[in-house]
Amino acid sequence: MSQADTLDGRYRSHVTDLAGALDANDEAAFRAAFDRLRAQFNVELNPELKRITADAMSALRRFREQARLEVLADHEVPDARRRLAHVVKLTEEAAHRTLDLVEQSSPLIDRRALEAAQLLEEWGLHGSRQLAVNSMWPERANDSLERAVRDAEHVRRFLSQMLLAQGYQDLSGQIIHAVIRLVMELETVLGQLVSLAHGEDTRRMPALKLEPTQPMPLQDGSRGSGPHVPGVGTSQIVSDQDDIDALIASVGRP
Amino acid sequence: MSNTMKFLVVDDFSTMRRIVKGLLNELGYSDITEADDGNTALPLLKNGSFEFLITDWNMPGMPGLDLLKAVRADARLAKLPVLMLTAEAKREQIIEAAQAGVSGYVIKPFTAATLKEKIDKILASKAAA
Repeated sequence: MSQADTLDGRYRSHVTDLAGALDANDEAAFRAAFDRLRAQFNVELNPELKRITADAMSALRRFREQARLEVLADHEVPDARRRLAHVVKLTEEAAHRTLDLVEQSSPLIDRRALEAAQLLEEWGLHGSRQLAVNSMWPERANDSLERAVRDAEHVRRFLSQMLLAQGYQDLSGQIIHAVIRLVMELETVLGQLVSLAHGEDTRRMPALKLEPTQPMPLQDGSRGSGPHVPGVGTSQIVSDQDDIDALIASVGRP
Repeated sequence: MSNTMKFLVVDDFSTMRRIVKGLLNELGYSDITEADDGNTALPLLKNGSFEFLITDWNMPGMPGLDLLKAVRADARLAKLPVLMLTAEAKREQIIEAAQAGVSGYVIKPFTAATLKEKIDKILASKAAA
């Protein structure tokens, strides 16, 4: 290390001049020594300030160019809000559908249980041998069994619909996964902004994973983009099964 | 149509696999194997004797469209009926799946009747071919 690089080499003469001027009570000399000391500070400070400013400008430029903050703020965060609102709607609808089906099934089960209990009670009281010749028990039992077959079919259908209603978990799960990817992206960007505010060198940070294929909605046609959410995206959606079939039929296999 | 027909159901969500399996059971099919994406499904298809493939599109690992293309590119599997059961509802995606050789396409959420109708239609087409 040369003399000019050491603290002693850079400042001892200035400090000696200041001390000498102080001892001599020479204000003009003191001010002159102080100005030289300040000039030395500035000489050393300017390159550092320039570096910090350049770093900040570079980081800000990188954020503007890479981080898609505007896109995130203007489009993807509002889209995420709409996606989550849609998830709430999906889960609410599925819950209501399931509850409706449970409520429709319960009276059928209750009716079967009640009729069976009544018939069994009468059977228990009288026994088959005690039934009067003109007893209506066999006919009532027959009618009850016929109703049981019908009610069981209704309940089976309701259970099947309850099964299908759980499909909301797949759809809402896909939407939530897309929002999680956005949150992870925002976390990275905000982390770097905080670091920048604390004066850390963002050039040493890991590169942002903000390529077009990474953020939601996924644009990779092969991978798909998840369920359609009303108000999100501009693609033409086909949801009618006849239209889908027509579209499939209209395309010849290569 | 035989209710011993071997199905492979591919979906990354276990709930959806259970739903499809339950509906297939109701339709009388009981030989059903599950896979959670194309990467796990393809070896099963190559080593098994599956007669019907039902697959989702959007899955981690190998998505359904790539699985469909791999099936059509394999001489032993090329004629396998493939029903895509997916939330992907964009017109261009349906066209892409059709061009890749999908046998049927149903968009989630779906009904049991739609699933049955599609399976029956695909099997009828296969029988007529």
